[in-house]
Amino acid sequence: MMGINKRNLSILLATILGSSFLLTASWGSSGDAVFAAVTHGPTKEECSACHMAYPAGLLPARSWKKMMGELDRHFGEDASLAPEVASDIAKYLTENAADIPRGTQMMSRIASGIPGNSDPQRFTETRYFGYLHDEVPAYVWKRKGIASKANCTACHTKADQGSFIEREIKIPKQ
Amino acid sequence: MKRILNKMFSNLTVGAITVAALLPVVTLNAEAANPQNMLAMYQDQSGTQGSATRGEKFFFAKRAHSNGETVSCTTCHTENPKATGKTRANKLIEPIAPVANKERFTDPAKVEKWFKRNCKDVLERACSEQEKADFIAYMLSVK
Repeated sequence: MMGINKRNLSILLATILGSSFLLTASWGSSGDAVFAAVTHGPTKEECSACHMAYPAGLLPARSWKKMMGELDRHFGEDASLAPEVASDIAKYLTENAADIPRGTQMMSRIASGIPGNSDPQRFTETRYFGYLHDEVPAYVWKRKGIASKANCTACHTKADQGSFIEREIKIPKQ
Repeated sequence: MKRILNKMFSNLTVGAITVAALLPVVTLNAEAANPQNMLAMYQDQSGTQGSATRGEKFFFAKRAHSNGETVSCTTCHTENPKATGKTRANKLIEPIAPVANKERFTDPAKVEKWFKRNCKDVLERACSEQEKADFIAYMLSVK
């Protein structure tokens, strides 16, 4: 059996440091945290009635498809729309989803963090969201000014325009 | 070929005239919608007069939702119909009383869309035409 000596300890430390470096390097810095603003009229109008109109690039097409197919049970509320409006919005969302081939780097990172057999309905439950927000402690999330992880604009002051860049972040003090 | 083209053209003209003739009617209907005639419409449909008193009771009534929450119209619209409310996702809701918000009850499709959604969210059923008439009657009574 190996005792804990200086050499073993330094190998252990190197391994820990190395693996944490690898983890960080897997996605790197957040890069260009800007999504196309929602310009599609019906999407903008209908999806911003109760919350901000989330950029289509936050979720893969299969997630949007599922969501638009069960609007009458939308996170516990009835958000049903006329079928033709719903399918028009679904078309826009899926054509601009995180997993489209011509997506931005951030979109492909979001898509790559989601297992192919799952269709998450909340971006906040994706691995990439967790990766980007791992330094936000639980007590900050509970602040009244934030209230919900879905409330992007609480901290990302220009989120409703699709912009999440670092210098626009302003975390509510309470 | 020319005959076919001519015929197509005349069909197009007839079509355009029909559309042009219909347009003003549609626009006028949209323009004409206001809280008073929306109330009248629901009164017609239900065959009863809208009651502001019943509407007020309806607006403030709390009920136990099957999800365990206590819900009411006031959950999101607040207890003051002239105040700005908040959705569960933290977005502002413009005041529900026409006296504080001229846009209210001026778009029949929108009114129906939100009655359908919100009645289901609060009451877990559709609202009757009488309840809709009462609701608007109450909102109109808020000064």
